[in-house]
Formats: sequence, structure tokens, C-alpha cells
Amino acid sequence: MNFVTWFGVLAVDEKGTVSECDLFQKDRDELAKQLVNTEVVNANKPPLGFDLRAAAVECGFVGSNEEYDELLRDVGIRAAKEQISRSGTTDMRIIQSVEALDDIDGVVNALSERLAEWYGIYFPELDLTTEPLARFVSKYGSRSNISPDDSLYEKAATSMGAEISDADEELIKAFAVNVCNLYETRNSIEAYLIQIVTSNSPNLAAIAGALLGARLISLAGSLERLAYFPSSTVQVIGANKALFKHLRARAPSPKHGIIFNHPLIKNAPWWQRGKIARAVAAKISFASRIDLYSGKLDESLEVELARKLEVIRAANPKPPKKVKKSGGAKSGSKKVRRHG
Amino acid sequence: MGVTEISSGIFTIIKGDTKQLATKNLVPGVSVYGEKLVEVEGDEYRSWDARRSKLGAMVLKKFDIPIAADSKVLYLGAASGTTVSHVSDIVPEGIVYAVEFSTRTMRDLIQLCDKRPNIVPILADAAKPRLYAHIVEMVDVIFQDVAQPNQAEIAALNAKQFLKKNGFLMLAIKARSIDTVASPKKVFKEEVRKLELDFDVGFEIFKMYELTPYHEDHLGLVAKMRPENRNNKI
Ligand SMILES: C[S@@+](CC[C@H](N)C(=O)[O-])C[C@H]1O[C@@H](n2cnc3c(N)ncnc32)[C@H](O)[C@@H]1O
Repeated sequence: MNFVTWFGVLAVDEKGTVSECDLFQKDRDELAKQLVNTEVVNANKPPLGFDLRAAAVECGFVGSNEEYDELLRDVGIRAAKEQISRSGTTDMRIIQSVEALDDIDGVVNALSERLAEWYGIYFPELDLTTEPLARFVSKYGSRSNISPDDSLYEKAATSMGAEISDADEELIKAFAVNVCNLYETRNSIEAYLIQIVTSNSPNLAAIAGALLGARLISLAGSLERLAYFPSSTVQVIGANKALFKHLRARAPSPKHGIIFNHPLIKNAPWWQRGKIARAVAAKISFASRIDLYSGKLDESLEVELARKLEVIRAANPKPPKKVKKSGGAKSGSKKVRRHG
Repeated sequence: MGVTEISSGIFTIIKGDTKQLATKNLVPGVSVYGEKLVEVEGDEYRSWDARRSKLGAMVLKKFDIPIAADSKVLYLGAASGTTVSHVSDIVPEGIVYAVEFSTRTMRDLIQLCDKRPNIVPILADAAKPRLYAHIVEMVDVIFQDVAQPNQAEIAALNAKQFLKKNGFLMLAIKARSIDTVASPKKVFKEEVRKLELDFDVGFEIFKMYELTPYHEDHLGLVAKMRPENRNNKI
């Protein structure tokens, strides 16, 4: 019986003594590659109770126990490093980017609110928020710097806001510049995600949209896991957060995963949403499977989905009459209250 | 300051009326995870906090620790190597095969392996020992701390594959990772039953204690395979 070890392919006779040694090259990097090579990992392994160390000495692969230890340790470390660098995959880049995006959103919202409060001392009539506000403040600082041809000039000139000192202006401007930078970083992360998901998972990007696709990959843990989820699971991916909120604040029940942000579902009339969600989820599952195995865009998916939606819309033109057990979103939220 | 060896390679350092568990530093000058380095009579020791290590707690709970200076140890659930580093101290002439399946954690573990001469890192799922059977030899001790629902089975599979005839299994069982609601006592009883009767290994359990106050709801145990199940072993 032949089997593989970290130092070569061996065979033993009926008595269990080594009858053949086909040794690998004693090159540390090569040995490390072999160690984690999929074929080797899945190959036939030594029989129970086999003494690897004795066999390595017997076959002349190493001259001593010390050499065995030293070599195997070094090869093991090289192999683990190789596995780690291989695991730094597209999936991981997507996951980190999505999380960075969420982190930035949290921070930038807080900072924007602060900026609005702060700048409100000096120009309360300005009704800008978020990025436009940050851009405005970083550009002008004091409202006295607004040029007469700017549409806000009148408002600024007659504002009831306080006068701003040079020191305050400098401070608040610097703060606004930082907020702008965060918005810029946010936008470039989004652009990056769109690029990477569209090129790596073209079918998922086509069906879900690149950003929603990125979130699905991130929540599932990898494209592979997403592809293996049944489509009923795809429908509720990302519902956990909602579940928490639901338990705390009696918010609507979280049978809606993040795919409910899909425009096809979000914009559908409520009585069609469940059915459309099911169709979209099924297509997303299918799309990610194609991406996993071929990675080539199959344009027929979108066409099929559109056809399916037409059928759903045609079959459900009107909201159902009030029946006790309807599949609509409303009954979902009622159920919740009973629990809560 | 005095020092006593309470088990091979495991020491207590006595200073006034405080006692500190420690191992002799195999790589003098280097602290692995922020533990204190103490010099006594010309040797450097690394203090070992039983609250951060199930093996450390087992020592303080007066288990006989079946690890000698030249032992070969298969360590399942190595994490970033807190305990593994002490095992590495205990077996200066032996070797530690450290299995961990989280890549993120393995990143830290490798830093440790780089600095020590006797740890072989293995990034793999301990529930599939066949997948690393081309790397790991027969060992004297399997130490397992994986905090997984199927930990009894993991122990059995690995013992069958790698444990020498007279080798020992050391196991830390975390009740909550098996059943979050059942009483720990009940969980432990069931796990012990599985180890003794299921998976056709049939462990014979020598000693078991709960690891309180160092670890809540954890059981530590030391076992051997029953002789009839180890006939094809060296
Ligand atoms: C409680 S921690 C171990 C702590 C470590 N023994 C110490 O004292 O430093 C459990 C570790 O086991 C790992 N683990 C869990 N299941 C595993 C499996 N099936 N195979 C390999 N490692 C596993 C986890 O990733 C985690 O790092």
C-alpha cells in the first residue's frame, strides 16, 4: 500500500515494514509546498500507528532525530506561512473593505452632526448636512468669505449667527477638512468594491448589484459560502442586526435580510415583495455559484430574472383581500408583537 | 527566593509567602505574551498564569502531568500560543505539534514558532486528523483545548491516529461550548460517557477535576486508551 508522508511516498509490506521510499527533494521550500498541496493533503495517509520519524531515518531522508525536528519545524513554518499568504484572498479584501465602509459611516455621521451643531453657532440658517456641509465649511470657513455670486450670499449676509474669530475659524475649518477626507475615503472604498466585485463576481454583481453583492459576500464570509447557502438563507442574510433591534425595540420582525435593499424588492408593492425576494435570492445563489466555478458573465441570468418578475407581477396585480394568513409584510410585523 | 520543580519542567517560585507557577525559559530574554520573567539561581523562568491556561490550572489542581523533557506533544487548539509556549519550555528535547484552524490566530502562532526551536505549526481542522497524518508522528501526549461541541470525537479521532500505546490524552472540556443551557455537571458526565464508550477508542479516565477557580465551568481530565484498542500501536 502506497501512502504519502511529508518527506516522500512510501510503501509498507504486510508486516508493516517499509518496503519502498520514494523521497522528495530535500529543498525546504519545495517540501513546504508539498506539505499543503491539496493532492498531498487528500492523498492516502500512513496506516494507524505508523512511525513516521523512524521511517524518515530508515529511508535515509534525515541522519538523526535532531535533523528530523529541525527540518520538519522549518518546513512546517514555511508551509503555514504559505497557507496564510494564500488565504489573503479577494474575499478577505472585500470583507475588510465592507467593514471599513461601515466604520467610516459610523464615524463620519457623528462628526458631521458635530460639525452641524458647531457651525450652527455661526450660520444657523445654512441648511446643509453631511458631505455638502463639510465641503462648504472647508471651503469658506467664515460666512463672510462667501462671494456675492454664491446663491447663499444673501442668507449669509443677513444671518443671525455669531461672528467667528480667526482662531475658531481655523479650528472648525480643519475639522471640516478631515470630515471631507473621510467622505472621500468612503467614496474610494465604494469604487474599489464595485470594481473588485464586478471583475471577480460578474454574475453576482449583475443580479445583486456590486455593493449589495459585496455585503452578501462579507456577511456570508466568502463567495464560496454564499454560493453554498440555500437561497432561503440568502433571503435572511444580514437579518441578525435587525433581529437584535427587533428584540430590543420591538422593531418589525427580521425576516428581511439585506437583499431587501435590492431596488427590485424595495420598489415593489408590498404584496409582491416576498415573492420577488424569493426569486431574487434564488438568482443570487445561482449567480454566485457560476462566479465560483467559471467567473464568466452569463447574460441570460438577468433576462431570466426579468421574465420571472413579469410572471409574478402579472399573477399578483392587486393587493390580496384581507385573509387571516397572508404572506405580505404586514402579517410579519403583527406576528412580532405577539412575541414582544 | 526559592524554586521547586513540581513536575518535569514545571516549577513553583517561592518568594516570601507567594508562590508562582513557572516554566524555565527556553529562549531567555524573550517574554511571549507579556508574562513576567524571573531569574532564580542563574536560570530564567517565565511566570505562568493558571487563569490564562487550562494546562496551568491542571497543574495547580494537582494533576500528574505526563509530559517529560523529551515528550512529543500534539496540541489541538493552539490559539496564539499562550499555553503552547509553556509546553515548548517543558519539552526542550521534544517537539510540539500545534494545530489551529483559524488563519487569523495562526498568524500570531507563527510569530511564536519563529522564535522557538521546537514547535511545528499546523493550520488544519483538528476534526480531520487524516489531513495532517503525513506530518504528525506518534506522540506521547495529546493536549486538547478546542472549545467545540464535538470535542470528545476530535479527541478520539486524534488519539486513534497519533497516540502511542502508553500515551496520555489531556483534555479541557468547556461546558458552555457543548450546551449553553444544561448544567455543566450534566454536560461533563455525558462527555465522559462518550469518551469511555463511543467512537470505539474507549478511554480510561485517570483523573478529572473541574478547573475552578481558574476557569469556570471547565473540566480537566487525563486519560489513556484502553489496551484492547491499542494493539496495532507502537
Ligand atoms: C480556548 S482556545 C485555546 C486556548 C489555548 N489552548 C491556550 O491556552 O493558549 C480554542 C482554540 O481552538 C481553536 N479551534 C477550535 N476548533 C478547532 C478545530 N476543529 N481545529 C483546530 N482548532 C480549533 C480555536 O480557533 C481557538 O483558537
